[in-house]
Amino acid sequence: MSASSGVKCRPSRMVAAWLLLATMVAGCAEGGQQAPAKAPDGARMPQSQVVMFGAGSADAGERLYGQECAFCHAGRNTGTIMLGRRMDPAQAELHKRTDLDADYVKAVVRNGLVNMPPFSKIELTDEELDKVATWLARKGPR
Amino acid sequence: MAAVIPRRISPAAFGKALAAFRAIVGSQGVLDSDEDRQTYIDPYAMGDGLDHDCSAIVAPATTEEVRALVRVANEFKVPLWPVSRGKNLGYGAASPAERGNVILDLSRMNRVIDVDVKQAHCLIEPGVSFFDLYRHLAEKKIPLWMSTPGNSWGSVIGNALDRGIGYTPYGDHCEQICGMEVVLPDGDLVRTGMGAMAQSAGWQHYKYGYGPAWDQMFFQSNFGVVTKAGLWLQPEPEMTAKVELAFPKFEDAEWAIDLLADLRRRDVIQHNIVFGSPVRAASVVSQRAEWYDGPGAIPDSACEAMIKKLGIGWWNAKVSLFGHAATVKAQVEILRALFEPRIGKPLNFELWEQGDAPDKSARGIPTTVGLQSVNWYGGRGGHLSFAPVMPSDGKLILDYARKIKAYYEQVGQDYYASFTIGRRHVNNVSLILYDRDDPAMVTRVDKLYRHLVTEAASHGFGEYRGHISYMDAVADTFDFNDHALRRLNDKVKACLDPNNIIAPGRNGIGTRPA
Repeated sequence: MSASSGVKCRPSRMVAAWLLLATMVAGCAEGGQQAPAKAPDGARMPQSQVVMFGAGSADAGERLYGQECAFCHAGRNTGTIMLGRRMDPAQAELHKRTDLDADYVKAVVRNGLVNMPPFSKIELTDEELDKVATWLARKGPR
Repeated sequence: MAAVIPRRISPAAFGKALAAFRAIVGSQGVLDSDEDRQTYIDPYAMGDGLDHDCSAIVAPATTEEVRALVRVANEFKVPLWPVSRGKNLGYGAASPAERGNVILDLSRMNRVIDVDVKQAHCLIEPGVSFFDLYRHLAEKKIPLWMSTPGNSWGSVIGNALDRGIGYTPYGDHCEQICGMEVVLPDGDLVRTGMGAMAQSAGWQHYKYGYGPAWDQMFFQSNFGVVTKAGLWLQPEPEMTAKVELAFPKFEDAEWAIDLLADLRRRDVIQHNIVFGSPVRAASVVSQRAEWYDGPGAIPDSACEAMIKKLGIGWWNAKVSLFGHAATVKAQVEILRALFEPRIGKPLNFELWEQGDAPDKSARGIPTTVGLQSVNWYGGRGGHLSFAPVMPSDGKLILDYARKIKAYYEQVGQDYYASFTIGRRHVNNVSLILYDRDDPAMVTRVDKLYRHLVTEAASHGFGEYRGHISYMDAVADTFDFNDHALRRLNDKVKACLDPNNIIAPGRNGIGTRPA
C-alpha cells in the first residue's frame, strides 16, 4: 500500500491553483466548532425529485446534469453538504451557482476535487461534458 | 506517472493487444493515457492508489464485443478486470486487485432491456445504475419498487454480484437475480436457468433451470463476465410504515438485537435492519472536529454529545413495514407493544399509502448521501469496511462489540459500527473512516483492518465481501481442511480460465505472485 500525499495527478496550473484555493477554504471552514451543517433553504428538494432532475428538459446539458451530477449536487446530498461548508450555502447546489465557468467545470470533472472523484471519458464523453459545463456556466461570468 | 503494463508480457505485445482491442471497440473505447487511467484510481485509496493502477481501460458496448475482447485477452495473455460501473466504493472501486490489469468497463452496456410489469421482474445490462433503473420505472410510471444500497451510484448487477444489500424486502440483492448471461473466460457465452433454452418462453420467472444451477459461481468470483441479468422487483404495496428506534445505552444491543432478529426470522420485519452507533449517524451530518478535535479515538463523552444533540441513541435502527394496510397497521401495533415499554417512549411511525409522495414511503430511493461520511476527518477521505458474518445472538454480538471498540481506541481510530441484521445472521460492520493523505492514519487503518480479520477468524467469524487490498488475507481465513475451498476455487479457475485472464486474485482466486 502506498501512502503518498497531495493531489493525485498532474493537473494544469489553473486547476492546481483552484484545487489549492478550494483546499485552503475548506480547511478554514472545517476547523471550527460549528453546528452540524444544514443544507441551505431551497436545497430541501425531496430525493424523489433529485433523482428525476432534468428529466424531460429540452436542454441536453440540463438532462445530463440531472443524470450524472444532481445525485450529489442537488438537494441534501453529499456535494451540497460539503460545498455548503466552504461557500455561500444558498449556492451550494451547483445548478444555482452564478460563478461557474465552463473550463473550470470541465477541469474539476476530469481531475476530481477534494472528495469528488474524477469522471472518466467512458462515463461522460468530452462532448457530453461540454454540454454539462455550458449549462452550468449559463449564469456565470461572461 | 510511469507507464504500467500487465505482468509477464512485453511492451510490444501489450501494444499489439491494445491495437486489437481498438479494432473491436473503436479508439474511443480504449483509454491508456496517464490522465485517463487516473480517472479510474480508487477515490478511497489509502494513499495515491497507484499500487492498484491499471494499464488501460477498454469499454465494450455489446456482449459480442465482450466475447471478442476476451478472445484477444487470451491471445496476448492480458488480464482483464471487469467492472460493471466501477463504483464499488470502500472495496477498491474500479481498481484491480493486481496492478497492471486492463479494466473492462461495462458502463456503456446500460440498457434496461425489458420490464415485465405484471410479473414484477426486469432484464438489465451491467452498466445500469440504481439511478438509471429508478428513473426508468418512474418515467414509465411502472408500479414496481427496487431495493437500493447505501451508495446507489453503482451498478444494480455489480452490487448484486458482490452480494451488496439494501433495506427493503428485496434487500438481499444477490437473491433477486434470476437468470444470467455470462461470457466465459474462453469467449463462450452461456445463459443460466431457463435462459439456457434457445427458445425460452422467459428466463426471469424461475431461477434454477435443469441440473446444477451455476449462478452462484459468478458471484464474488472471476469465472466469467456477466453481460445481462434478470432482477426481481417488488410490486408496490398498499401501505408502508417506517420508524426510527433509538436505544439509549451501549448495553441495549443485547436485548435489542435479540428482539429485532426474532422479528426478522419471523418475517414480521421483512428487510435487513441496520443497527448503528453514534459516529455512523454523526458522520453523515457533521464532521469530527465539530465534536472532538483531539488525538486518538473519539472519546465516549463526544459520543454522548452526539446522542444529546442529534436526538439519537447509542444504537439506532430503522425499521419499515410493507404490505396491505390491515397487515401493516397490525404490525405497527406489534412493534409498539414490544418496544415502547422498553424504550420508554412512543414510537413515531410515518405511514405511506398509495398516492402519497414517494419520499414518505419506505421504498428504496437511490441516494449517495451516505458517502458524506468520508469527510469525517476532513481532507480527501475514504472508508474501509470489515463486516464479518456472525450468528444473530445479542450477547455474542455485544461482547464482541466491546472488544472491537476497545481495539479501535487502542489503535486510535474512531469506533464506527453498524450491525446489519439478516434472517439468521448479523454482519458486524466495522467501518473505518480515514484521511487518505495522512500516512500515519493510513498505517493505523491497515493495522486495524488486519487485526479485525485475525480477531474475527479466531472466533470463527469470516468476512462477507472483500476489499482489493485484502482479498488474499480474507480468503486465507476460510481454512477448513487446510484451505480446501481455495483449492477448489483455484481448480475451477484453472479449468475455465487456464490463462488466468479474468480478474486474477479476485476474492483470492487465481492470485499470481508479483
